[in-house]
Amino acid sequence: MTSRRSRLNRGESLTGYAFIAPNMVLLTVFVLVPLGWAVVISFQQTNGFGAGRFVGFDNYTRLATDPVFWRSTVNTVLFTVIVTPVSMAIGLGIAVLLNSVLPARGVFRSIMIVPMAISGVATALIGVLVFDQDTGILDKLIRSVGLPAVNWQSGGTAAFASVLIVTLWWRVGFNMLIYLAGLQGINLELYEAARLDGASWWQRFRYLTVPLVGPSSFFLLILNVVYSFQVFDLVFVMTGGGPENATSVLVTYAYDNGFVTGDQGYAAAIGMFLLALSLLFTLVRWRTSRTRDLVE
Amino acid sequence: MELDRRHFLTAAGALTLPVVLAGCGFAPSSSGPAESGTDTLTFTTWGTDAELAGFRTAIAAFEKANAGSKVALNSVPYAQMFTNIDAQLQAGNPPDIFRVPYYTFGSYAGRGQLLDLSASMPSGFSDRFTPQAWAAVQNKNKPFGVPHHTDTTVILYNKALLTKAGVTDIPTSLEQAWTWEQFEKVAQQLRKSLPADRYPFAYNWQGNGVTRWLSWLFEVDGRFLADDLVTPAIDSDAGRKAVDFTKSFFANKLVPQNSSVKSTKLAADLWYAQTTAMNFGGAFLIPDAATSLDFEWGATYSPRNIRSAGDFGGNALVATAKTKNPELAAKFLAFMTDAEQMKGFCEGASLLPTRRDLSKDGIMFKVRPELSPVFLGQASTVLPRDSGQVASPSMSKIITVLKDQLEQAFVGGQDTATTIKNISDGIGKATAS
Repeated sequence: MTSRRSRLNRGESLTGYAFIAPNMVLLTVFVLVPLGWAVVISFQQTNGFGAGRFVGFDNYTRLATDPVFWRSTVNTVLFTVIVTPVSMAIGLGIAVLLNSVLPARGVFRSIMIVPMAISGVATALIGVLVFDQDTGILDKLIRSVGLPAVNWQSGGTAAFASVLIVTLWWRVGFNMLIYLAGLQGINLELYEAARLDGASWWQRFRYLTVPLVGPSSFFLLILNVVYSFQVFDLVFVMTGGGPENATSVLVTYAYDNGFVTGDQGYAAAIGMFLLALSLLFTLVRWRTSRTRDLVE
Repeated sequence: MELDRRHFLTAAGALTLPVVLAGCGFAPSSSGPAESGTDTLTFTTWGTDAELAGFRTAIAAFEKANAGSKVALNSVPYAQMFTNIDAQLQAGNPPDIFRVPYYTFGSYAGRGQLLDLSASMPSGFSDRFTPQAWAAVQNKNKPFGVPHHTDTTVILYNKALLTKAGVTDIPTSLEQAWTWEQFEKVAQQLRKSLPADRYPFAYNWQGNGVTRWLSWLFEVDGRFLADDLVTPAIDSDAGRKAVDFTKSFFANKLVPQNSSVKSTKLAADLWYAQTTAMNFGGAFLIPDAATSLDFEWGATYSPRNIRSAGDFGGNALVATAKTKNPELAAKFLAFMTDAEQMKGFCEGASLLPTRRDLSKDGIMFKVRPELSPVFLGQASTVLPRDSGQVASPSMSKIITVLKDQLEQAFVGGQDTATTIKNISDGIGKATAS
């Protein structure tokens, strides 16, 4: 009897492994092997052709004294710190609005989701049309109301702001969608009870909605941070990292080093730094995740 | 045999895979067979419609002249071109032939990725090209490609805006080209006449076009690499003059602030939108400008100082070191630079020839033929020592140094002495590694 159960368990295990095998193969071939390779390359001086020269930690020590690298790191962190909470807050606000009894809410929901269907490069090209400081729509509007035009392309802060705005436009719809799904899973009786207890709109939002969409917030926090660390296409097309590296982020800087300058060892070292940054965030998330799971 | 769902999905997947790969640019997407037989060459390039039409015509002529030979043309967007080529070279399955800008040529030749043509070409083959063109495809005194065409920068101007500013005396010969002082005066005149959000000109040094900045250096008889192509030579009076003068364009608001070397805004787009009155641009812009601009425009020579100069733009055709058919590849490269082929390609695509005979006799662009002499004249000012420096194997690293430092000088307020020192140090590091 025991051996039969054990055979059954083994059979189930094998079936389980068979099911995850295709994903594991893909993960190994397209993620783990390239990752291991990148680690090796990060210890080499190589232009990508032929065997690289082993240089130990040279590429990593170079990072420490490279001002453009630090500028790119600060920009990446700043971008993440701004985009993540703002896109989540706007997404939640719109989701709450569109979850209420609003006329034509289906149309509004569709409009909000449309940017998700557009590729990053196309979104960036739309951004260029809007933020072009010579012929863009936005500066024309600003001038038409008598205000001075903003140098979206030649001013460092303005250029950074333009990338943030386009990113938010692109990402808010996704945040809204996830929150909307979360909101629709909340039992309406809870709100009714709160209303009977005399809770105001703000109290219902603060003490019911926000905690009850905790799992959605947790999911979005991770995705937004990861997407922000990986930002590339919008920056590459809209500003190219300029002016004066004001919008340079780690991935665009790694790309420049790897594919423009041909310094692939150094580019791999930048990639490893980004990986370490992501792992650090994952560690923090892991430590805080238990309390978040308790919300529901 | 019954076709069940599993078989259908497998077959559909197998059929879809090549389409997906072709979409990624890893498989030939246009004319010709995909497989590379002994008499088949694969040729990867990017190009405008006119350029691709020129390539197709030349390929058809080559196939007709060499019965049994095939050339599979794989046209890819420029943005993908060199990441794909690099990946294919690294994976060991590159195309037999590809097209490469002169400023990128050196990095492939210097890394042993290109076929040495020394032994494959007939004796006296180099004599068909201008010395500056032949110098642009050399690595350690050996040819690793053929100079297929060139292009250079001249001034394209909006006639109405110049007339309105009182600029009516526009040079019509190379000898009469504006000196730097005269050009600055014209720009100042335009500055006074134009509203604050319009500018006298924009220069086409954005992105990898930063090599065009070197024309200012060459005009004051400077150089950035010594004869050995290793020692930095930019720390000179000529270097300082070139940085000072071009830096003043931004300080004096003669160019838009968003037209610096790292800007994503191209000079040509600023001119098309009439944000600028003049534009430094190449002949390749002519077909688009002729069809899309609704204002009258002309072309004149780039400014001169101690001498006239120009950038040796355009592209070479190269064969890869691992080609399975080096003889046929060399034959194809030679054929593409025959007078008939080069003339047809350059006239159709508004580009300049690299052959001595065609440069001497001249060609006539199909669109705006009257502008051909301006571009040919400007191209004649490129010296072999100028184009030879740009063919340095370290050029891709030098480009990064130029971009970083000129951006700091133009829009970051970095002084000329620091800029020159940093460029010189950067070039030293680039050529040493």
